[in-house]
Amino acid sequence: MSGSLPDPSFLSVFDALIFQKTAERFDHLGDLPSWFPPPGLRQEIDLPPGQLVDRSFFLQHFLHEAEEWWESGKRGQCKSGLWSEPALFGEDVVLEATAVRHRSLRYVILQRFGPDFLPIQPLLQKAREEQLSHRQAVNQHERIEAQLGSRLAKSEQERDDVMAVLDGLGLGTIMLNANRDVTFISGKARELLQTDPARMIGRTLVEGSPWKPADSVRVEEMGRLPGSQRQVVPVVMDRKNRSATALEVEVQDDPRDPRKTILLLKDVSEMEALRRQLVGPTQFHNLVGKCPAMRAVYERIGDIAVVDVPVLIDGETGTGKELVARALHQLSPRHEHPFLPVNCAGLTDSLLGSQLFGHKRGAFTGATSDHEGFFESAEGGTLLLDEIGDMPLSIQTTLLRVLQEGEIIRLGESRPRKVNVRVLAATNQPLQELVDKGVFRADLLYRIRVARLRLPPLRERREDIPLLSTAFFEKSRVAFGKMQVLGMAPETMQRFLRYSWPGNVRELQAALEYALIHCRSEIILPTDLPPELCDVFPAVQSSPFLKSNERQRILDALAQTKGKRAQAAKLVGMSRSTFYRRLTELNISQEESSR
Amino acid sequence: MIQKKICMLGGFAVGKTSLVKRLISGMFSEKYLTTVGVKIDQKSLSVCGQDLLLVLWDLYGDDDFQKVRASYLQGASGYILVIDGTRKETVEVAGKLHELARKTIGPVPFVLLLNKHDLVNEWVVESPMVSDLSDQACLVSMVSAKTGEGVEAAFSALSEAMLKS
Ligand SMILES: Nc1nc2c(ncn2[C@@H]2O[C@H](COP(=O)(O)OP(=O)(O)O)[C@@H](O)[C@H]2O)c(=O)[nH]1
Repeated sequence: MSGSLPDPSFLSVFDALIFQKTAERFDHLGDLPSWFPPPGLRQEIDLPPGQLVDRSFFLQHFLHEAEEWWESGKRGQCKSGLWSEPALFGEDVVLEATAVRHRSLRYVILQRFGPDFLPIQPLLQKAREEQLSHRQAVNQHERIEAQLGSRLAKSEQERDDVMAVLDGLGLGTIMLNANRDVTFISGKARELLQTDPARMIGRTLVEGSPWKPADSVRVEEMGRLPGSQRQVVPVVMDRKNRSATALEVEVQDDPRDPRKTILLLKDVSEMEALRRQLVGPTQFHNLVGKCPAMRAVYERIGDIAVVDVPVLIDGETGTGKELVARALHQLSPRHEHPFLPVNCAGLTDSLLGSQLFGHKRGAFTGATSDHEGFFESAEGGTLLLDEIGDMPLSIQTTLLRVLQEGEIIRLGESRPRKVNVRVLAATNQPLQELVDKGVFRADLLYRIRVARLRLPPLRERREDIPLLSTAFFEKSRVAFGKMQVLGMAPETMQRFLRYSWPGNVRELQAALEYALIHCRSEIILPTDLPPELCDVFPAVQSSPFLKSNERQRILDALAQTKGKRAQAAKLVGMSRSTFYRRLTELNISQEESSR
Repeated sequence: MIQKKICMLGGFAVGKTSLVKRLISGMFSEKYLTTVGVKIDQKSLSVCGQDLLLVLWDLYGDDDFQKVRASYLQGASGYILVIDGTRKETVEVAGKLHELARKTIGPVPFVLLLNKHDLVNEWVVESPMVSDLSDQACLVSMVSAKTGEGVEAAFSALSEAMLKS
């Protein structure tokens, strides 16, 4: 032993096993540590401690490393790192071997750590546990995210499937949130509404849908009723250049959230068309109306159109006599030939005569050239003699002869000319009374009323007023470029229904045009109506109030048109002849009318 | 008796210790006790009529706190690469350790184990992620130290491969 080394017994304080490597052996130095022999060697009491090296797989491995290190001549120590080998040293025992060198002597120091002597263990444990739990949290997030993602995809898929089924059934779907804003529009609904969904999403039906506001309001109101009281709301959408679409809108609560609403839209246009065919027409050759009286008229027109006889059309002013005449012509075999309407009122004998039968140059003052009359112009076709009650007697006589002989003679000529013309006559005066007064020829009356058609006044068919209003409203709205006006207020319609309409359908049309021009909002209000409708009560045509009112209306119209009578007549909804008659009857002088 | 050194390689807490414990004692513990340093166990097996002593070197997980010492791999006849099927990042660690093994001991046989297969609901490692490693392994297997699924078969397969090579 070298004096420079302490007494090996001193080493016992380390409780370590110390070997000195000599040639091929390991000799232990000093006292054996308290833990020797380890559990794996306890059976072999006489085993020299150096044998431990042979028994430990780890030490054998380490000694290779230590050998290299000793050879390398490096200074310091070579550590094995911590290890455990339960079969030899027991569970929970951690060891470390250190190779050192002193001059040419080689030593291996073997230290044993119980669980309490390893401060690194709990630190490492904690750090790794933290890392693990962090990782677990992240994983869980990712998993939940993925789950939500796939659930979302699944529910979107399911929704798409449901929509496909609904679309397949021809049902459009619109969803409204609790505020009644549109949140979803299915493909079929888009198709049915023909509208850009971006215009509707986030808005209410009234704001965004292409429906009439009244319809949108009805649909919304239906949603506020309890389910049992709800009914399907019919909505008709008129479209430019396209046939109207009839929808049935069913309002349902969203089963997942009753504050939300689902609208199911069903296209019933075909059914509606069928229904109309069953119920009968609401329109016939520009005549609008579906009341029984009008249906009878349509039927009768069909019957007598094809029989080539004169027809007397009897009806108050503005009931649409000329439309009936046109329909008769259209439905007759003459429809490819001309249809000419002639107003017999307000013309002198010679003027009307020359208009009807033509004249030879110089036949009367102002006849500067030969002139073909309406009878000749209408050859093969139909001539409508409107206001025939106003026809001068002399002309009546000529007309009677024309009807009997089938030939005319131009004024100033003597040569008869064959004509082939069907004569239709229209009147708003009771011709029989005129006959009695001696201002209308009885034989002519019998001649022209071979077939008769009576048009009911509007007050006798009030049920058609909504239909007529809608028809005129749509037409005028387009014609006047007032597309921003969307409909009529219910009170407006009330007035229409109560008014007596002395000017009949023509007056209704004029009233609507007047209202449209005056309308400043989206809806026609009663205040937009002409004055006589502003203050409506169940009126009687002959009431002096109305008369005076009418006088003022005519004067207003004349003022508005700067005295142009034809235009003024249109404004107040009268035919020109009625207008002229009213001027006389109401004592409106020339002077007054051009003021 | 033939002795073979096998290294258990993989990130921390992938279940290396648990797999060895399952093999040796047939037991499993939920409690995580991180391995400090190298742990050496032995197991005798009989493979293809050969008695074999496997010396299992459980190398603590490789992470920022502890790096596997390359020298520990020396003398190994094969290794077991362990991945935790519920933690993606353990794939990368396995890849690095595989490279280290290749560099240190050359192309010895190894098996690739995707452990914790009992936790199917938390499973995140898909086979394309490990295709590089799978191509070279003599066995790729989903195992569970907890249920014992595939554990013994994995060690047998590696032993067989080591005997043949
Ligand atoms: N559920 C389950 N847990 C396991 C499995 N294998 C290991 N564990 C757990 O994973 C943690 C880490 O295992 P351990 O064997 O210490 O991992 P090592 O660091 O790779 O040795 C412990 O809490 C084990 O109980 C397994 O197959 N299934």
